[in-house]
Amino acid sequence: MHCDLTGSAFDRGDERCTGLTKIKVGFLQALSKLYLPGSILLCLVFSQSAQAVPSFARQTGQSCVACHAGGQFPELTPYGRLFKLTGYTNGVRGNPLAAMIVGDMTKTANNDDGAGGTLSPKDEKFIADFASVFVAGKVTENVGGFAQFTYNVHDRQDAQGNWLGFAHSDNFDLRYADRRVDANTDFIWGVTLHNNPTVQDVWNSSPAWGYPYLATTLGAFSGAPVSTFLESQQQLAGVGAYVYLNNSFYAELTSYQTAKNFWQFLSLGSRTGDPDHPLTYLSGSNPYVRLAYTHEWDAHNVMLGAFAMNAKVLPLDSNNFPIFGPSTQYRDVGVDAQYQYLLYPHTFTAQMRYIHERINDDTQNLYAGPATLGSFKLKGSYVYRAQYGASLAYTNVNGSADALAYPSGTPNFGSESNVPNTQMWTPEIFWMPIQNVRIGLQYNYFTRFNGASTNYDGNGRNAKDNNTTFLYLWAAF
Amino acid sequence: MIEYFRKSGFIFSIAALALSGCAGVDDHAGDESTLTGVALVQKVCSMCHGITGESVSPLFPKLAGQQKEYLVSQLTDFKGHARSDPSGVQHMWGFTHLTPTQINELADYFSSQQPMHAAAGKTAPNARGGLIFRSGLPEQGVTQCSACHGAGGEGNGQFPRLAGQHADYVVRQLKVFKLTGQRPRGAIMEGVTHNLSEADMVAVASYVESLGNSR
Repeated sequence: MHCDLTGSAFDRGDERCTGLTKIKVGFLQALSKLYLPGSILLCLVFSQSAQAVPSFARQTGQSCVACHAGGQFPELTPYGRLFKLTGYTNGVRGNPLAAMIVGDMTKTANNDDGAGGTLSPKDEKFIADFASVFVAGKVTENVGGFAQFTYNVHDRQDAQGNWLGFAHSDNFDLRYADRRVDANTDFIWGVTLHNNPTVQDVWNSSPAWGYPYLATTLGAFSGAPVSTFLESQQQLAGVGAYVYLNNSFYAELTSYQTAKNFWQFLSLGSRTGDPDHPLTYLSGSNPYVRLAYTHEWDAHNVMLGAFAMNAKVLPLDSNNFPIFGPSTQYRDVGVDAQYQYLLYPHTFTAQMRYIHERINDDTQNLYAGPATLGSFKLKGSYVYRAQYGASLAYTNVNGSADALAYPSGTPNFGSESNVPNTQMWTPEIFWMPIQNVRIGLQYNYFTRFNGASTNYDGNGRNAKDNNTTFLYLWAAF
Repeated sequence: MIEYFRKSGFIFSIAALALSGCAGVDDHAGDESTLTGVALVQKVCSMCHGITGESVSPLFPKLAGQQKEYLVSQLTDFKGHARSDPSGVQHMWGFTHLTPTQINELADYFSSQQPMHAAAGKTAPNARGGLIFRSGLPEQGVTQCSACHGAGGEGNGQFPRLAGQHADYVVRQLKVFKLTGQRPRGAIMEGVTHNLSEADMVAVASYVESLGNSR
């Protein structure tokens, strides 16, 4: 489950919400039987009592807009980035628990699978989608972090068609950091233990915290049909070190390995041999490097960056146990950029990311031969008074032809030309009536899907048939 | 899932305990109350206001060379939630844990810095703003700024230094004084701004920014 509104979902300062910090899994399971009006009522009830605030906001006593650009989570302001880079340690240590909940509705333009069935389950139905519990905050003046655990209400269906839930660890970042600053030098350094590659990043052009911040989970066409390794929301064990010099130069080196044994707490819910959520196995240590240059002037700030990762993923056998030997190698190289204008009541932000991936599949299970994949994203957004926002995103994915990876002859999801090439525009409007509640309407407009705008699957389905409308309610407590 | 929590229970417990800290234990550990003023500047204040109080973004006021008495009163008002302009609430209301000693040390630190500079490209004085600053607008009941803030905008005790301050910040504060009661100790400024148009606010703010030290 892709849960981008996390990590920052809990650091806002509204004191009108409480109660969900006591969420239990059983309660969440009960939620699965509710629909959106029920969720709205529930949220309003909680939002009008007044005891607790999300963890980081409690800790700093500051409002969400102090750390989040225009209050649009999870986009970080310059202050929010420094807060994270220095180990989440500003403020007063307190209750570290927080929670968030999402209810939504998805509508697919053409939900007919061409064989008498449907493609997107729960289409046009309001659902309680997922909820997270966070443990977050400072530990000492140098140590802090957050751990997120998520429950997906509609994870999969059993043989009888009943929906089953899934509780699992989500984003995790624990770090030690120090800062030495005087009139001439500002030097921040730190080490981080985390799971999802780039979850440790502080710019919202990075995959883990990039747009879309919320996307349909049950829609058949939530975005491009494939993504690069770095964009695929992994549950690994990453240990990294970073420096940030004079608010200008950032450098980071992280190594990832399988989140098993000692590191298993980073991948809770995934396990070896599990048919639904098998553990991802990497071969040895897998390096990631990140460089960035930042500059701030007046109310503007900009970042130009680059990053790269080599990952060797082991194949799984028919019982979902790893096969040690040949692996699938992903070599990702990316460039990204971010611009922000932050001056109340106006917030304008833009992010760009391009990743070029080279794939060598020695297992020959996934790709017939050497392959490449390019992924480009561009997003701009404007928020007024941290309440009313609109954004527009563009996604373009291109890959080399591969009959094994992108097979033809598969209705709806296949590619007649054996390519994943997809182009999509995503307009969105959103409203934040209070700073920890967001209501949004998002639309995925496909101009190309799997290589063509018309008849991309050879079975008569067009790209525009996949257009998806997504209405959501997000709340954090 | 619970089974897996158990399997990695040792590490998970360490992480969870580390993150949860000592929630509910009022031992003041980790609440910054033991830090010196300078340490607080280095750890927190400098993130927005700059290490010398020369903030980059006009979202945050420059504090370099600001009057000590003014800094003490504002920090005290933020701590007590008496100053409630939106930016103050959003960014400063969390500092309820500041001790009187820390407030004094913070004020000492920023007031002793080299006074704030005019930003590059903002050193040309605004003629209309200069007129208002020096002479006021008597026909509108607008008193000249220099009467309290000094001929050079350097400030005096409870009257803050204006020379070199971000113009956008000054405009926002003038609107707060004119339109709201969100800033205590603002009675004088409420009267001064009562008949001050937005265009004149921009003009005088531009002028006081240009009074900052040249680099």
